[in-house]
Formats: sequence, C-alpha cells, structure tokens
Amino acid sequence: MSDRTLFQSPISRRQALAIFGIGAATATLAACAPTGTGAAGGPAATAGTGSFAPTDFKFSSWSLTEEAAAPAIKSLLSGYSGKEDVTIEEVSFPYNEYFNQLMLQVRGGQFTGAAHVDVAWLGSLAALGKLQDVSALTADRGYTESSLKAAQFEGTQYAFPWTIGAIGLVTNSEILGKAGVDAEDFPTTIDDFEAALVKLKGLGGGLIPYAASTKAAQLKDILIWMQTFGSPLVKNGTVTIGDDASVEAVAWYKGLYDQGLIAADVDRFDARSLFAQGRAALYDDAPVGRGAVTKESPDPDLASKLVPVSRPTLKAGDTPRALVWGGAIAVVSGAGAETAADFGQWATSDLDTVLADYELRGLPPVTEEALSSDVVASDVFGSTFAERITKTATSNPFWVYPQYAQIETTIAEAVQAVLIGQKSPEDAMKSAGEAAQKLIG
Amino acid sequence: MTTTAPSSQLSTTSNKPKRLSDGVFAFLLVLPGLALLLAVVVYPLITALVTAFFKQSLVLPGREFVGFQNIIDVLTGEFSRLLWQTLVFTIGTTLFPFVIGFALALALNTRIRGAKVLRGLMLIPWLVPGVVVSFLWMWIFNANYGVMNALLEGIGLIDQPQAWLAQPATAMGAVILAKTWQSFPWMMVMLLAGLQTVPRELHEAAEIDGAGTIRRFFSITVPQLKGIIGLVLLLEFIWNFQHFDIIYVLTGGGPAGSTQTFATAVYETAFHGFDLGHAGAIGLLWMVLLMALVVVYVRFSEKGEER
Repeated sequence: MSDRTLFQSPISRRQALAIFGIGAATATLAACAPTGTGAAGGPAATAGTGSFAPTDFKFSSWSLTEEAAAPAIKSLLSGYSGKEDVTIEEVSFPYNEYFNQLMLQVRGGQFTGAAHVDVAWLGSLAALGKLQDVSALTADRGYTESSLKAAQFEGTQYAFPWTIGAIGLVTNSEILGKAGVDAEDFPTTIDDFEAALVKLKGLGGGLIPYAASTKAAQLKDILIWMQTFGSPLVKNGTVTIGDDASVEAVAWYKGLYDQGLIAADVDRFDARSLFAQGRAALYDDAPVGRGAVTKESPDPDLASKLVPVSRPTLKAGDTPRALVWGGAIAVVSGAGAETAADFGQWATSDLDTVLADYELRGLPPVTEEALSSDVVASDVFGSTFAERITKTATSNPFWVYPQYAQIETTIAEAVQAVLIGQKSPEDAMKSAGEAAQKLIG
Repeated sequence: MTTTAPSSQLSTTSNKPKRLSDGVFAFLLVLPGLALLLAVVVYPLITALVTAFFKQSLVLPGREFVGFQNIIDVLTGEFSRLLWQTLVFTIGTTLFPFVIGFALALALNTRIRGAKVLRGLMLIPWLVPGVVVSFLWMWIFNANYGVMNALLEGIGLIDQPQAWLAQPATAMGAVILAKTWQSFPWMMVMLLAGLQTVPRELHEAAEIDGAGTIRRFFSITVPQLKGIIGLVLLLEFIWNFQHFDIIYVLTGGGPAGSTQTFATAVYETAFHGFDLGHAGAIGLLWMVLLMALVVVYVRFSEKGEER
C-alpha cells in the first residue's frame, strides 16, 4: 500500500512526520524555554547589593481587585513604570484567595518580582526559600524600627514595610448616638460592651449591632477576643487554645450570635457593605476599610461619623487588645527581582510617593518623615486609630509558624461549628487546640 | 498495491529511504497525542496519587514516606462524612433536575404554542458558567441582603432573615437548588430528544384501547425512554459526584464542613490546609469510587449497544 493510497493525501508519510516533528519540537522548545520567571531555590538572596539596569517585572496585590484601593495602586505602578521606563505586569487575586494563590505561584516559580503581602504571611512565604533579603535596601531610608520588625521573619528583612497599623473596632457614631452610646466614651469592659450591643439591637430596623466575622474565611478575628479573655494562644511552643479563656471567649461569641447581636454569613467584605449602608453599627477593620466604606456608602457624611474605638477588656483597667495589621512588599527571586526591589523601596519610602498614596488610601505610612508630615498628622481618623488601637496592637503568635494559615483555618472551622450549634465550645476548642499543636509539631 | 521487492532489487534501491509500515506510521502519528496525554493527565494523576503515601506539605520542603497512614487517617476520619455528603449532593442534584427536566420535556413535546422559544429560554441556566450561577444564588441566599429573605418575609413565611448558607440544615439544600437550576435544561433537552423518537401511533393505539394519560406514560413513554433515562441519570450522577465549582463558590464546603464533598475536600486540604499527603489520600479513595461508577457506565453502554 502506498503512502498516498493510505490517506489520499498529497503529503507523503515522511513529509507528514517531518511536519509533526517540527511542530512537536517547537512545542517542546516553547515549553522548556525560560519564561523569565524562573525562581531561585534555596535560601533567600540579598537584594540591592549592586547596580542594575531596570527591567520589566511583575507586581501582585489583592488591592488591585478592590474598587476603592485599585486606583491608588495603579497610580503607583504607572508612576514607577514612567520613571524607569519599564512595564509592570499586574497580578491580582481577591484577598481571601490571595495568600493561597501567591503561595502556589511562588512555589511553582510562576511568580517572581514584587508581591504585596500581609505581614502575617511572611513566615509561610519565607519557608519557600524564594523571598529576597532586602535589608541592604531598607537601611538609612527612615523606616520606623517597629515597621521594619513587622516585615522581618526570624531576624531577616524579607519585605519592605508599606503600612503598619492594626485591626480594631470602627463605629458609626451617629447610630451609636441613637442608642444612647457615646462613641467618644465607648464601653471599656466586655459586659458594658455587650450591654451597648443590646441597646443597639433595640433600635430595630434589622440593624446588626456588631458586624463581626462569622464566615470561616475571616473567623480568625476570634483570636483577638480569645486574647482579650486572657488566652495567650501559644506559650513556649504549646498551643493553649482549649484553655478556660479561649473557651469562655468562644462561648461569649456564641452568645452574641444567638442573641442576634452579631449576624451569620458575614466576613470583612460583607461587614464593610453592611456598615457602609448603615445596617451595622460597628465592625472590625484596619484603616484601609475607611476608603471602602465611605466610597460604598449612600451617606456622603459617613467619613465624619467614623470613630475608631479601643476593644473592650475583660476587666476595667486591662490593656485593650488589637491585632497588628500590616502590608509589605516582598521581593521574590528571579526575573525582574532587582527592579522589583527598587520599586519596593521607592513605593514604601519615597516621601512624595508615600504621601500621594496616603491621600488616596489613608493607610498609615512607615517612615518617620511621612508620619510627621502635616498630611498624616492632621488626619483625625488616622491619628485616633493609631492612638486608640495601633498603640497597643500585638502580632498574632501563630504568624511565626509556616503552618499559620492551616492553624487559623482549623480554629475558624471549630468556631464555626460552635456558632451553628454542632459542637460545644469546650469540645471544639479542645480539638482545635490539639489539631493546631499537631501542625506546629 | 505495494509488493515485496526481491532481494536482488534491494541492493539497487538501497539509497532510497525505507518505507514505514502502517502500524509504525500510525503509532508515530498517535505519539504526540499520547505524549501530551502522558504529560498532562497520566503524570499529574500518578504524582497526585503517589502523594497519598507521603507526609508532604505545600509549604515545607521535603516529604516523608508514611505508607498507608494517610489513607487510614482519611478512612477513620472524615471519609464516611464526605461520602454521605457527596451522596446527598449527588443524588439530590441528579433526581431533582431529572424530575423537572422530564416534566418540562413532556410539556414541550406537546403541540403548545411557542414551544421552540420556550425550549431556547429554558436552556439559559445551562449556558451560564457555574461560577456565575454560584454568585447569583449566593446573592439570592445572602442572610443579610438576599432576595430570598426579602421575598419570604414579604409574604409572611418567615419573620426574621434566615442564614440559608450558614446553617447546615439549609446550606446543602441551597447548594442542591442552585445546581438543579443549572442542570435541568440538559436533562430536558436529552429527554425531549428521546420523547420525539417515541412513535405517536403507539399513544394513539393505546388511547383507542382506553388507556389514560398516566397509564400511557408508564406503559409507553417510560419503557420507550428506558435507555435514555438510564444514560442521563448515570452520566449526571457521575458528573455530580465530581462537581466542584458551585459548592466551592457558594459555601466553600461550609458551614463547618457540612457541604463538603470529595471534590471540595481535596482542594481545601491541598490548597488551604497545604496537606498534600492527606489530600492525595482523599483523592485516591474518591477515584476508586469514581472508577466503580465508570464500570457501571461502561456495562450500561455495552448493554445498550447489545440491545
């Protein structure tokens, strides 16, 4: 049988195979060719130790998916790309998915460049061995000591601090006033706080007194309440969740849930929406939330009604708890890393850039010079937030463990099981504590 | 027709390239596809299954061989819960769309006016991507500003908003409802195609013999559609057994894991829990169950061909 009779084709078998061969070879070469994103393995490299020619790089940020914050980030990127004549490829995922996606991309070598990270994630990201040590570029740039520390893991400067603040309670003073609660004289103890929530509930109209997180994605917020009730969470490498204080905190949270003082099906983004619409009187957020709620609100005067308040304490006189919240720019080794590092330094410490960003996003800057500038110092909300919340904020003790995200997920699911009545606070916290301990090892 | 050349002639043509046999040629043609299949299906699958025998984290480097420990952990841990929830979801999302799809197919098989337009409109939910369907229903079921609560409160069926997606008792129902809305058109189209092959004469003859609508339905329509009913139910069952997007977007497997199925559990364990070994073990057991379903499907198809 001839070639032609087999397929009735003018192409011979050899020609056909040659075409396939060329195609396969091209595909193989394309697949194997360096993509420009190959990541360096092993320990973190050191950035900023020599001169470099600016090149294109990638920048990832969850803020690019948020309507209120995206314009500020885009303006920042266009400012740098115009200045250095480079192209910055934007990479973005919503906040709740961001950490996992970034981890996967960094681990797989698909992402190199500059990454906007939550300081909580540094331990996990550093464990991948692909973050650069940027200490050479943070020296003598005027960063505050505390902000530099917040962007370190095990003594290595894995990121440029960008904004360091805290997550605390933000109230709508007008709604509080209607219930006879003074935002400027906010309850300082748990009992008084709960009583205030009951008063707010009494206003009716479907008002959610406290739009606390009840969805698993943000139920990590419970940890600060556990600390408020006296649980250290971790002590000398031993997880203390399951102790009396953590059980008491969860039982109290469940009590709020059952009384309708907090609502089901709420995460940070739902809370912002409810608060913006005047359907919630207070919620937990970082200063970044101000932009989102004021932009989304039908009330043009909402900004003037926002009052950050200290978290109530178990006993009068205790120090209010708050969780450090911070954004940083980490540099992932590989293509474009040097330019990405230069961008990170510029975005976080160049005074004009930082102040322009502050005016758009209102996030507390991290350099002494920017903090003492008129723009920042004259911001009432920002300075009140810093005084009442950030001042006593502490980091989450689980952040030092690379398995931090797993630990938080485990605890969040256990708390959710309590809220929906599947488990008792005692059983749920005991098993969550054991699971967290197993993860830590 | 090519004939074998005598050996004396071979020496004179030895500088000509050798001809490839049909078998070798066919194999070489299939080779790129085969290589692609090995690279993008077989290799990842085997790699994923192999992780079931290791303690391996997505975050930490290295891995440790643990034998069957991960599989034992899954079997003694969440397996029965996952199997039950996967079956509830699968059966619910197979039967409800079937009943609705069959009812609509019967209606559209009559000579009603606008049947073609209605058939087109009914297909819309099936054309909408799963993620979009999920967001749509997520807003409908939202506890704080959802349409469902507003509607039910409006007509007085509930006196306060319900957290449909945050209560185990209602979350699975909500997920099944969303998937039913998306799937019934496919069932409808398949069954309608089957109904149109049933000879009208059979119905007419039965009607003359005094058979009523219900009798004709069970004695003519159903037996005539037995093959297609079995096929759509089986296919839908297999697809739903591995369904991911609507559950994941709508509830993320929550609250407290009450809508978790094998599909979402593998993803959650691997990419949120970063525990690749445990996820591999769930995946391995899930695949064994799926293989059993595939065997049933193949047997069913073979029987159909024999008929």
